[in-house]
Amino acid sequence: LQFSLTAPLCLLTLLLLPLSLGAPISPAEPISQAYSLALYMQKNTSTLLQTYLQYQGSPFSDPGFSAPELQLSSLPPAAVSFKTWHALDDGERLGHAQGAFLALTQHLQLVGDDQRDLNPGSPILLAQLGAARLRAQGLLGNMAAIMTALGLPIPPEEDTLGVVAFGASAFERKCRGYVVTREYGHWTDRAVRDLALLKAKYPG
Amino acid sequence: MALFSAFQTTFLLALLSLKTYQSEVLSEPLSLAPESLEVSIDSARQCLHLQWSVHNLAYHQELKMVFQIEISRIKTSNVIWVENYSTTVKRNQVLRWSWESQLPLECAKHSVRMRGAVDDAQVPELRFWSNWTSWEEVDVQSSLGHDPLFVFPKDKLVEEGSNVTICYVSRSHQNNISCYLEGVRMHGEQLDPNVCVFHLKNVPFIRETGTNIYCKADRGDVIKGIVLFVSKVFEEPKDFSCETRDLKTLNCTWAPGSDAGLLTQLSQSYTLFESFSGKKTLCKHKSWCNWQVPPDSQEMHNFTLTAENYLRKRSVHLLFNLTHRVHPMAPFNVFVKNVSATNATMTWKVHSIGNYSTLLCQIELYGEGKVIQQNVSVKVNGKHLMKKLEPSTEYAAQVRCANANHFWKWSEWTRRNFTTAEAAPSEAPDVWRNVKSVQGHCVVTLFWKPLSKLQANGKILFYNVVLENLDRPSTLKLLSIPPPANGTELTLDQCSYQIRVTANNSVGTSPASIIAVSGDPGNKEVEEERVKGTEDGFCLSWKPQPGDVTGYVVEWCERPGDPLCDLQWKNLGPDTTSTVVSSDAFRPGVRYNFRIYGISTERIPYLLEKKTGYSQELVPSDNPQVLMSNLTSYSFTLSWKDYAAESQPGFVRGYSLYLKSKAARCLPGSEKAVLSDDSICCKYKIDNPKQKTFVVENLQPASFYEFFLTPYTSVGEGPQGAFTKVTTPDEYSHILIRVILPMIFSILLIMILCYLKSQWMKEKCYPDIPDPYKSSVLSLIKSKENPRLTIMNVKDCIPDAIEVINKQEGTRKSLTETEPTKPTYLYLLPTEKSHSGPGPCICFENFTYNQAASDSASCGHVPVTPKAQPQLGLLTSSENGPKALGKNYVNSLGEIPAGETNLNYVSQLASPMCGDKSSLPTNPPEPALCSEYKTQMAIPMGLASPPSITLLDEGEHDH
Repeated sequence: LQFSLTAPLCLLTLLLLPLSLGAPISPAEPISQAYSLALYMQKNTSTLLQTYLQYQGSPFSDPGFSAPELQLSSLPPAAVSFKTWHALDDGERLGHAQGAFLALTQHLQLVGDDQRDLNPGSPILLAQLGAARLRAQGLLGNMAAIMTALGLPIPPEEDTLGVVAFGASAFERKCRGYVVTREYGHWTDRAVRDLALLKAKYPG
Repeated sequence: MALFSAFQTTFLLALLSLKTYQSEVLSEPLSLAPESLEVSIDSARQCLHLQWSVHNLAYHQELKMVFQIEISRIKTSNVIWVENYSTTVKRNQVLRWSWESQLPLECAKHSVRMRGAVDDAQVPELRFWSNWTSWEEVDVQSSLGHDPLFVFPKDKLVEEGSNVTICYVSRSHQNNISCYLEGVRMHGEQLDPNVCVFHLKNVPFIRETGTNIYCKADRGDVIKGIVLFVSKVFEEPKDFSCETRDLKTLNCTWAPGSDAGLLTQLSQSYTLFESFSGKKTLCKHKSWCNWQVPPDSQEMHNFTLTAENYLRKRSVHLLFNLTHRVHPMAPFNVFVKNVSATNATMTWKVHSIGNYSTLLCQIELYGEGKVIQQNVSVKVNGKHLMKKLEPSTEYAAQVRCANANHFWKWSEWTRRNFTTAEAAPSEAPDVWRNVKSVQGHCVVTLFWKPLSKLQANGKILFYNVVLENLDRPSTLKLLSIPPPANGTELTLDQCSYQIRVTANNSVGTSPASIIAVSGDPGNKEVEEERVKGTEDGFCLSWKPQPGDVTGYVVEWCERPGDPLCDLQWKNLGPDTTSTVVSSDAFRPGVRYNFRIYGISTERIPYLLEKKTGYSQELVPSDNPQVLMSNLTSYSFTLSWKDYAAESQPGFVRGYSLYLKSKAARCLPGSEKAVLSDDSICCKYKIDNPKQKTFVVENLQPASFYEFFLTPYTSVGEGPQGAFTKVTTPDEYSHILIRVILPMIFSILLIMILCYLKSQWMKEKCYPDIPDPYKSSVLSLIKSKENPRLTIMNVKDCIPDAIEVINKQEGTRKSLTETEPTKPTYLYLLPTEKSHSGPGPCICFENFTYNQAASDSASCGHVPVTPKAQPQLGLLTSSENGPKALGKNYVNSLGEIPAGETNLNYVSQLASPMCGDKSSLPTNPPEPALCSEYKTQMAIPMGLASPPSITLLDEGEHDH
């Protein structure tokens, strides 16, 4: 069953969602919501990265700073070959994104804590990091809804950070925050593409 | 008990073993070497911690030992540190020693060894070094992991200005590594192929969040760095001080040093330690701390305040006696009691500061803008009598206390306000009067000045005025006048009264002010003197009065000109002969009049002198209206009698007259002056201010002058005004007037007469048609030869000829060409009647005149000239004369159309022309038919040369 629903009805359906568990739901609606959220997130990712770098001092705050080889083992990179990406099935696609945003929410929490320690006098940065984390959590929820709608199994929540996070030096924490905010942007970009693809596949 | 016996046994055993040991030592020296040396690393602090023990000691043996420690870097031969560490050693005691490395320990391999020696006076024979321990190697690099690049030290915290050594450890030999401090490349020294060291000297504080130092490889994207946290130098607390208010709690305060500049890494802690009690407290606040004094503690306290952060510890000390640092509590139960007009009592209580201590209390009394301060010693209850207070006055009293024996600080003030009671007014009101005589009555206006607050001693409720008639002493009259009235007007039947004025408040009456009014109002004429005022006022002086004078009064109006002139007066003592009257109300340019009165013993004022003056004279405000009179050729008179010199804002000292003329020189009595518009003129100075006329003399006749008059005061002249223009008359004009005027009058008279008698005159002198009988010619003729000759009578004239002109076309000729053409004349023969007269009737024409008349195409009288034309022939009248033409004119057409045969009628002037005036033609013919009227006059034959006269054809001659 495919309905063309207006936005208020859509919201109503969302509200009624807990009451109508088990009822078959169209994937188009959560896909659309997730897509909208991802688009909204995409608009703010570069601002977050720039704000973050600005507060870290040189070399991070130097114009044109980029260190693509800096990676975090705990955070899956968003970069993937187009062929591989295109060949992913819905379950894999959503699974990758789900895993990445789960890791990102945890990492953004860590980076927020780090920055509260390193840059306590920068409420703007702390607010932006907090907002990014909440959005990532929102997108996670949306993706779970899609997976439910598509009948896919939802992967369990894992602790992606492990125990290595606390021994890092100040500079390492700055680097870590850079990688997290950068990857948050990359994963958001990828999520927009993922959801666009799904949207095309499951039109409302 | 069992424990004690065990301890005793152990002690005995130890003593035994020591004796054994000593005997052994004495026999064979035994080296005491450090053993079990272990080295550990504290990376965060860049410290090497050493621990070891000395095994060869006897039980319970304590020896002073010195340990020599060597530290080498990279290789054992490169010893970078040697230190002797002295300590007391027990058997199997673990000894510890730490060393902080400037170079991060990760940057190079370090090796440590040590040896020991006994440094104890008990066993001087053991003073030699033991063998070195083996080198203990510390190599952190090997445990770093597999990252390609490391930078050390991590998160180091240093003070501003300190020196820091930084290194990187690279795993790759090929890569060139460059390192930057805040984006600026650093240059270091290669410690080994993989390690490079950078020495930073005198590091600056950049920001609270630390300084980034990072290294990166040329190839690849490897970035590694550290954050160097540089804090500001931690300062010691300032102004550390403690005090108590109740001897139970001490409050210690201090000013913390400037912020270390790091947000979280360098938290400061403050600790208060008292050495006598050995107590310590960690202060919760950054700048103060409370310390509980134990009830039975000693009075002396020795405090140490320790401020501490990660890098540094700072201490300040303070030794004091508790009783010397008492800051008492503010007094309480403060009351002001028994408040009278001049006294009040203040009571209060203080908190005790020990059993035998005395407090010094300070009382301040504020009132009437003054402060009175007094000190009182108090145990518990304080009491102070405040004396010499002013009645009816608000006061504020406050009290504070301090330790009398050892002053430390005053307590806070406790304040109370109170108002003293009223008392009777202390001074008589200052009274003055003004006496006028109105319709036989004496109108006395009394004035008095309100009593000052100090004199009134309370609220004045009314003023009592008692009038005592001096002629009838028993008669009293009482008036009660409430404030705010400061005067009253009394109408007295006569002027011999004594007036007493008193001021009354709720408590009593003031002394009376007495003034007498006599029958003589005292306004006798006194010469007014001028005084010169200054900014400070008017300095008035007067002659001392002989006889009894109880005082003087100077009186003046502050607003002269105002009906309520704001009368002021000043009382002066009998010995005074001068005073300065000053007032803020005095204005420049206002004339103030002062009257000086003497007060007799009977309290009667009498006028002594009058003064007048300006506090500041100004230039005159306006110029007089000048009238000019008596203008002659040489002088004129100016007058300005209406000018009010008295109302000018200064004494008019005279007048300046400016006279402008074309003459280059000024007249005598004047001098040259330059006006404000740079024009030059002559100035006459009139020094007498009472002179209000001036004669300007020695002027030039028929000259133009301009004058301008302005008064002047001591400050200057009046405003520049317009000049009045005047021109002196000509010298002869008056003579001319005397001649010409009568002449004009006479002529006018004659003309009027002539006009009135014009008819008569006309008849007499120039009749329209002269009466030949009346003509002088006639008399001339008569007087001469022919008495018979008479004037031709009109009826004697008969028209006698008609002329028909047959004129040829184009035969117009000028007058001069008379001969060639001969006009065809019809000759009229004279009738018989023409002979009836004394002579033939002759008409003739004056050609000369006729031509002119003809040219103007008008008719006119033609004067007769006695000349006759030679060709004139006598015209005879024809029978075919046109009878239709009844008019007696000689018609002559101006133009005759060519080829026409005109019939010109030429009539001889008929008889009506002669003598009959009523038949004179009044209507001349129409211009188109302009006929030429030819005056004809009968001329006696004797005067005309040819006997016959022909009427000429006009067309022949005129056209």
